[in-house]
Amino acid sequence: MSISEPLTAPSASAGAAARSAAAPSSAGAAAKDAAAAKDAAAAVSCSAGPEDTGGGAAAGTSRRRWLPTSGRHLLMIVLSLFSLFPIYWMFASSFRRPGDVNDNSLFPWPLSLENYRIVFDSLDVGTLLANTFVIAAVTAVGQLLVCLLAAYAFAAWDFRGKGLLFLLFVATWLVPFQVTMVSNYLVLSNIGLLNTLAGVIVPNLCSALAVLMLRQHMQAFPRELLDAAKMDGRGSWTTLWTVVIPNLRPVLASLSILLFITAWNDYLWPALVLPRANSVVQLGIRSFLGAEGDAWGAIMAASGLACLPIFAIYLVMQRQVIDAFVRSGLR
Amino acid sequence: MFVEAALTAATAAPTSPAGSGEDSATRPGLAHRLRGAAPPYLYLLPALACLVLWTYKPLVEAAQLSVYHWNLLPTSPKTYVGLANFQRVLQLPQLRGAALNTLWYVLGLLPFSIVLPTVIALVTRRLGERSRTAYRAMVFVPMLVAPVATAAVWRWLYDPSGLFNRLFGLGDHNWLREESTALPAVLAICAWQMLGFAVLVVSAGLSGISPDYAEAAEMDGASRWQILRWITLPLLRPTLLFMLLMTVLLSGQWTFPLIDVLTQGGPADSTTNVYYLLWEFGFRSMDSGLASAAGLVFFGCFGLLAAGLVKLADRFSFHDD
Repeated sequence: MSISEPLTAPSASAGAAARSAAAPSSAGAAAKDAAAAKDAAAAVSCSAGPEDTGGGAAAGTSRRRWLPTSGRHLLMIVLSLFSLFPIYWMFASSFRRPGDVNDNSLFPWPLSLENYRIVFDSLDVGTLLANTFVIAAVTAVGQLLVCLLAAYAFAAWDFRGKGLLFLLFVATWLVPFQVTMVSNYLVLSNIGLLNTLAGVIVPNLCSALAVLMLRQHMQAFPRELLDAAKMDGRGSWTTLWTVVIPNLRPVLASLSILLFITAWNDYLWPALVLPRANSVVQLGIRSFLGAEGDAWGAIMAASGLACLPIFAIYLVMQRQVIDAFVRSGLR
Repeated sequence: MFVEAALTAATAAPTSPAGSGEDSATRPGLAHRLRGAAPPYLYLLPALACLVLWTYKPLVEAAQLSVYHWNLLPTSPKTYVGLANFQRVLQLPQLRGAALNTLWYVLGLLPFSIVLPTVIALVTRRLGERSRTAYRAMVFVPMLVAPVATAAVWRWLYDPSGLFNRLFGLGDHNWLREESTALPAVLAICAWQMLGFAVLVVSAGLSGISPDYAEAAEMDGASRWQILRWITLPLLRPTLLFMLLMTVLLSGQWTFPLIDVLTQGGPADSTTNVYYLLWEFGFRSMDSGLASAAGLVFFGCFGLLAAGLVKLADRFSFHDD
């Protein structure tokens, strides 16, 4: 408490001062001025909350702990190893010589690229990865845009039929993909999108998960900031792009990762829409898994290649997410 | 409720000083209200169009199909059979097994989508920024692996000559071909993949909770346990209910690609779930009427379950203010 108090106090008073300085220009009457100041105080106390997480955590560590820090680290290290080991084993197996694949040694030695040569000889890896990337990227961006607008409508307005419409979004989770598949396939063939990348993308442009997650975060967003933007005379469209989205950046970063992965990982729908020859990377592995039998080294190499682009993107996006957290913590 | 009232008051406020007399306020008031009502619908339009076109129209068509017997071939005739398909659905013993398996998948996943993530998120909250970020980055990695690649890696680990058997000296136990171990084996893969994602969701929920409440309680002399039990967990409840809803509704879809690649529902239907059964009805046995009827039954069951959970979530979501 003693640590976090000096942190909150100046920022709160500064915010209140800024608000009361701006208030007289918009409201004339003295009574309204007082009400606005009260409002501003409420806004500050609310908006100061999320930024203070660092201070609160620091205050927490100064108290007696039920589990020593080393224990916490140990728990997390065990969990991290559990998470990473299968992936490590995949790459380790892929770099062994095809004859060494049954080795138990933790490090593959001697190293060999033979498995990768087998994969490149039997699959058009470049085309598979390019197709998958285009599908995943366009789907993720489209979903983010469509769902951001929908979530904004749900979070910022009360309107007739809101509950029913929201239920329509939630209920898509209940509709099994296996029920809608046939009819969507027929629609695609009627409008000529079968065998095209667009045919994979277009039916997936609305993600109920994205709408729900964005709505949840927008509702946690201090309502007073939206009202302040409205009082400044900003329209809802401007407010969305200048107030809501900049404040949601960490959420948007992690959500876009999620949407991209989901699209990358989808393989039932691409399998139906695209012809086998130039389809997506997962179908490549799938056919490989059947054809190669127990050539585990080559199968692991193909799986590793399918994951590599995602891992690379995650490294980049992860840094953005971390940056956003650090910046909000430093303020 | 309180927030909604505040918003309507705020939107009403600017109009009242504009109109000087009561008679002039009524006419622009109506136009203003009409114009004011449009934005949320416009923002919703693209998403809603997608939903109707790609989810609800096909659902209606499935409802129509469910009273016919048809093998999906455009040349063959559809025969009207009334409710016979639904009768068959309810009598199929295969379906009872699949429903039970689905329940096991959901129950088996709950510890990994709710209990452990909550514990991990609470524990890592107190760790240093840098190590916390690193741990989170690592536990999230399994979510990045494509399901077919995941299935391939784990099939290799579970293989009779694979690492698990060699490591634990289990001979040539075939994890995915034995009825007793096949379902837990598939479940373990799904849990491995979900855990990191769930931790991130719960952590996001935690960081959205203002520490002011905890600090105020601390000043009043509340113990760490009391703060957790009476402040943090109740405020976290919407997030946890969200995860619960997701686990219940989506565990069938998460396990689907694993089942498809690894076991095809076997051995002896021990790993099949309701979605995989639907897929088999529709595209293996080409019995679209039965598949549609079964799909509608599941839609109804999951719908009731979800309605209950949403009601629960709504009741708790206003606690914050």
